[in-house]
Amino acid sequence: MRSARLLAIVGRNLKRSRTHFLLASIGIIVGIATFFFFLSLGLGVRNVVLGKIFPLDKLEVIPKSLDVALGPVMLPTGSDIIDDAMVAKIKEIPGVETVYPKMKLTVPAVATGGKSLMGADIRAELPADGIDPDLVVGELKPGFEFKDWDDPANAATPVACQKDKECADDMYCGPPPMTREAADDDGKGTKLPKNEEKVCRHYIPILVSNHILELYNGTLRRAHNFPKLNPDSVLGFKFDVEIGDSFMGGTKDERIFERAMMVGFSDKAIALGVTMPIGYTRRLNVAFGAEDDAQRYHSVIVKVPIKDDVARVAHGVEQLDLLVEDSGAEQAALLIAVFMMVFGAVSAVIVGIAAVNIMHVFFMLVYERQRDIGIMRAVGASRGDIGKIILGEAAALGLLAGIAGVGLALAAGSGFDSISANYVPDFPYKPTTYFEYPWWLFASALAYSVGFCVLGAFLPARRAARMEPARVLSGQ
Amino acid sequence: MIRVRGMRKSYRTGRVVNEVLHGVDLDIADGDMVSIVGPSGSGKSTLLHALGGLDRDYEGTIEVDGRDLHKLSDADLSDYRNRHVGFIFQAFNLLENMSCRDNVALPATFARGQDAPAKDKAYARAAELLTRVGLQDKILASPNTLSGGQKQRVAIARALFSRPKMMLCDEPTGNLDTKTGAAVVDLFRQLNAEDGITILIVTHDPRISALTHRTVRVEDGQLHENGETAALTKGDDADEDDAAEEADDDDDAQEASE
Ligand SMILES: Nc1ncnc2c1ncn2[C@@H]1O[C@H](COP(=O)(O)OP(=O)(O)OP(=O)(O)O)[C@@H](O)[C@H]1O
Ligand SMILES: [Mg+2]
Repeated sequence: MRSARLLAIVGRNLKRSRTHFLLASIGIIVGIATFFFFLSLGLGVRNVVLGKIFPLDKLEVIPKSLDVALGPVMLPTGSDIIDDAMVAKIKEIPGVETVYPKMKLTVPAVATGGKSLMGADIRAELPADGIDPDLVVGELKPGFEFKDWDDPANAATPVACQKDKECADDMYCGPPPMTREAADDDGKGTKLPKNEEKVCRHYIPILVSNHILELYNGTLRRAHNFPKLNPDSVLGFKFDVEIGDSFMGGTKDERIFERAMMVGFSDKAIALGVTMPIGYTRRLNVAFGAEDDAQRYHSVIVKVPIKDDVARVAHGVEQLDLLVEDSGAEQAALLIAVFMMVFGAVSAVIVGIAAVNIMHVFFMLVYERQRDIGIMRAVGASRGDIGKIILGEAAALGLLAGIAGVGLALAAGSGFDSISANYVPDFPYKPTTYFEYPWWLFASALAYSVGFCVLGAFLPARRAARMEPARVLSGQ
Repeated sequence: MIRVRGMRKSYRTGRVVNEVLHGVDLDIADGDMVSIVGPSGSGKSTLLHALGGLDRDYEGTIEVDGRDLHKLSDADLSDYRNRHVGFIFQAFNLLENMSCRDNVALPATFARGQDAPAKDKAYARAAELLTRVGLQDKILASPNTLSGGQKQRVAIARALFSRPKMMLCDEPTGNLDTKTGAAVVDLFRQLNAEDGITILIVTHDPRISALTHRTVRVEDGQLHENGETAALTKGDDADEDDAAEEADDDDDAQEASE
């Protein structure tokens, strides 16, 4: 009740001194806008970087000396290889939810195709790896499946055919799985062999990393003047794969011809290359290599659902004499944190200077209003009441300036986003918005603004409260 | 009942200490009307501010209806000013950015406890008081559109808002012409006679002090009382203590010449 009446006085005074307050609040508005703009920018960028580019909820574990085992003395310490036993050990580490072994295709492969998408066929070396299909459960668009169709353990009985038309819509007519053909003499150009024995085959389902599409759309396509691809138009894209072939010249004298189809995008896919169900890479590696290639994993993805466990799991992995691949996430997170801290400090300086300005304005106001303050004291205002009125004005000023600052930052943010959308050329991971606005950012911006205004008005309020009313009242 | 004992007040300006009141005693009975006279700078306003609880930086005691003003907390002293004292100043001291009605109702803003009036009640009382002082057509006017006499009547309405037991008036007619001043003093006499409000008026005008029951003179840091007016007070209020104490004071024949 009483505070409501004091508040009415605060409102009256705000209105009366609005010109002073408008000038005093400019600094606060700019400071709060700086704070809000750069913090929401930092959060938004962090979202893109840590959410899409370097997801933090999983680690990739690699053997210590996978690619260095070329020295004269090769000691098979066991940590060179991640095999099924090692995978089981990793799974035991507390904090680990699941582990997904990854197996690279160690045989050269070349892909041909692309006319339907880009207007011309492209022939390219195809780095590939294989992952457990369970890793991407629920990630694919309806109608697409990431599945080991040719798994000998549960493959359907083959249906003989002569032409693609004889097979189901999403199948083709080709040689049975793992059919080896003699290599062409020229070593170039894929020629499907005229094999009389053909069966209906599923395409090898292929996942591609978001990075590839981002890289393609962001930079590569413009260099080659190719059309922009959206993810949906890429899904279902089919191409030929010739395994055992390479630009470097066929290393094997036999080839396996397959067809593959893009079924989705996933951040679990290999960064540059294609990812297929692990069964395919396992069978191909064994076919062109040795029996124990069947359990030579090149890396293991370890899912750690609770972020705080990541460090502990990383430690456990090192105990097993394995390495955690550095994804760059930590450096990125640190960089963004530093960025946010720098701009937080810049805003603190601006708001701090503004608070000093507020202090001057309030000292002046208290001086100007000393007679009014005396009158209020004479009719019953206590020192505390006077202090509360002044601080109330400061708090209200802070709230209004805070709202204005946040509004300014929001406007600047949406301007920034729209300039980026309309005038900045595409680049990898170009987001639709660079900002994130969690509720606590609004709350802390307003608290920050109110806090500094109240702090600035503290000494003037104290002076006003301690002023002796008698002298001003009897002065003429 | 106001009882002042051994009150000393000094002002300090830098290193210079200037004692204005050298330990004064004063008793004022309820319902009395007293004028306070004396040369400029003698300490009349100083005394009034202390009595009204606007200044607590003095030595000695001031008791009003048994409460020692010195011992009250700032909040209680504020409540005392709010409910028991009405101040009237020479400079009117109205808030220029408020209407007359808001000025008169200002004490309601700072009232404490349950008897704080709601806004509509406060406004009704303000309108009633403005009507009483003859300003019923200026209720929503801004004070700076009023004449001096009108302003002082708004100030009187404000002083009356909380139905105080006493009004402390510091040269209330100092900025008014003789006729307007006389009307204001008439209002005080009416309030004293009809409502029984104790009235203390600081004045330089002998015609005004002549209209009060008692005249206290402040000079050289001491209070002096005119025997004649003291007798009048004694007769009216039968306050023996009062008369006995002040009988020793020198009669001041020069008072009429002020
Ligand atoms: N705030 C103050 N600081 C220092 N000295 C003061 C202060 N207020 C009053 N004085 C001094 O105290 C003395 C008494 O002042 P006071 O205002 O009580 O006089 P007064 O009798 O009311 O005079 P006047 O008739 O001119 O109003 C004066 O000498 C004055 O200069
Ligand atoms: Mg005076």
